[in-house]
Amino acid sequence: MTFSWKRVNAIFQKDLKDFSRNLAVSVVVFLPLILALFNGRAGENTITGHFMTINIAFTLIATYVQCCLIAEEKEKNTLRGLMLSPANTLEILAGKSLLSFVLTIIVIFFSAYLSGYNPPNIWMISMAIILSSIFYIGLGTLLGLVAKSVMDSSVIVLPVIGIFSIGSFVLLLVDKYPILKIAEYLPNVQLIELAEKIEVGAEFSEVLSNLGIISIWVIAVILLTIVVYRKRMVD
Amino acid sequence: MENAIEVKGLAKYFSNFRAVESIDFHVKKGEIFGFLGPSGSGKTTTIKILTGQLDPTVGEAFVFGEKVSKLKNSNARKRFGVLTDNSGLYVRLSIFDNLKLYCQLYDLPISKIDEALGFVNLKEASKKKVSELSKGMMQRVLLARAILHEPELLFLDEPTSALDPVNTLHIYEGLRALNKKGTTIFLTTHDMHEADTLCDRVAFLNKGKIQLMDEPRNLKKQYADSTITMELTNDEQVTIRKDAAGAEAMYQLMMENRLVTVHSNEPTLGDIFVRVTGGELV
Repeated sequence: MTFSWKRVNAIFQKDLKDFSRNLAVSVVVFLPLILALFNGRAGENTITGHFMTINIAFTLIATYVQCCLIAEEKEKNTLRGLMLSPANTLEILAGKSLLSFVLTIIVIFFSAYLSGYNPPNIWMISMAIILSSIFYIGLGTLLGLVAKSVMDSSVIVLPVIGIFSIGSFVLLLVDKYPILKIAEYLPNVQLIELAEKIEVGAEFSEVLSNLGIISIWVIAVILLTIVVYRKRMVD
Repeated sequence: MENAIEVKGLAKYFSNFRAVESIDFHVKKGEIFGFLGPSGSGKTTTIKILTGQLDPTVGEAFVFGEKVSKLKNSNARKRFGVLTDNSGLYVRLSIFDNLKLYCQLYDLPISKIDEALGFVNLKEASKKKVSELSKGMMQRVLLARAILHEPELLFLDEPTSALDPVNTLHIYEGLRALNKKGTTIFLTTHDMHEADTLCDRVAFLNKGKIQLMDEPRNLKKQYADSTITMELTNDEQVTIRKDAAGAEAMYQLMMENRLVTVHSNEPTLGDIFVRVTGGELV
C-alpha cells in the first residue's frame, strides 16, 4: 500500500479551512487554555492540577473535535467521497487526524505555559503526550464513525470526557470499591503517574511500563478504528 | 469490443428485502448504458456494488476485468468517477475549494477545475460558498467533481434530477462530448426521455430484476403498434394501420387535400416500460 503525504496534506488543508469557519466546534479549543490560565493564576502547582487541564485538552480537542469532524463528514456524505477517491484508508485517517493532532499539541503547549508547568524531562513528557494524543484522536475517530450525526457525536463523547478527564479522581474511591483499581490502567492515569515519576527524576526505564500501557491503548484503538472504518466503507 | 462492466448473477439482500435479484449484464467500453427503473427498483444498489460501496450477497461484478472488491487501490479509483445520491460537498467551503481538494487527491493540475466547471456551466460561480447554492447547482458541482479527472468510466445516479431544462441540455451535451472522447457512462435514471436522448443501450430494472435490455431504437421497433396518426384540416385525428387499407385511406385524404400532419405511433421508452412491467415510473 502506497502512502502519499500530498493527499494527507490536501485533507489537512481542507480541514483547516473548514474548521476555521466552524465556530460551533472551533470555540472548544479555547476552553483548556482558559482553565490553564485560571490554574496558573490560582497558583495550582501540582501534577494532578496541571494534568487535569492537559487531560481536558485531550478529551475536548483530540477526542471531541475529532469526533465532530468525522461525524460531520459522515453526516454530509463527504466521507464517502474521500473513500471513493484515490486516497487509501491510512491517508484518509491520517489526513483527518492531522488537524486535531496539531491543535492538541499547540493547546497543551500553551496550557502548560499558562499554568506554569515545567517538567524536568521535556522529552519523556513530550513522548507520552504524543502517544496519548494519538490514543485520544483514535478514540474520537472511532466515536465519530459510530455516531449517526454531529448532534449524536456531542452526546456519545460525554462519557469519554467524564472517564478520561476526571477519571483519575476515581482512584480516591479504590479503598471503598476495589473494583475501581482497574482505573489505574486508564491512559490518563498512566500519564499522570508517568509525570509524577519524572518530577522526582525517574529514568526512561522507570516510565517504560507507563508508556507501554498507553501504547497498548493506542494500538487497540487504531485497530478498532480501522475495522469500523472498513466496515463503514461497504455499508 | 472489451467490456467496461460485467455483471454475473448479482444479487443483494437486506434482511428480508431483495434489492437486486440475480441480474446479468455487461457494458461495452465507450458505451452509454442506461439503467432504468422506478425508485426502489435497485438502481442505486447496483451502482453502489459496482463502485465498491456495497458487497453483493451473491454473484460477481467486474469493472475493467477486475473484481469490484479489488477496486480499492488508488490506481483503480483514478479510472472511474461517481455521482450518486450519497455524494456530498463541504458546505462551508467554496466550489473552488471543494474541487481543489479532489484535484490534489487525484494529483491533477488546478487548471482542471476551470475545465470541469465549464462543463457544468458554473465557471462564474467558482468562488461561491456551497451553502449558498441551489440544489441544482450543488448537483452540477458534484458532477464537475466526478469528471474532474476525466475518468474512463463514469457512474451517474440520476444526474439531472434536480436540474432545470437549460442546464439539463447543457449536461447532455457535455456527457456526449465526454463519451466521444472515450468515457464509458453507466447512467441510472427514471427519466425515459433522458435515457432515449443519451443511451446506446438500456436495461429496464423493476423490483430488482432486469426485465428488458436492448438499444432504445430496437425496443421501440419491437413494441411499435404498426399504426399512424394523421391530423386533418378540420383538427380531426385519424389513426390508420400500416397496411394497404391504411395506405389507401391516406392517399384519399391527400388527394382531398385534407392532410396536415402524419405521425408514426412509436411507443416511448416509458410506454414500453409500463407495458413490460405493468407498473408506473415514479
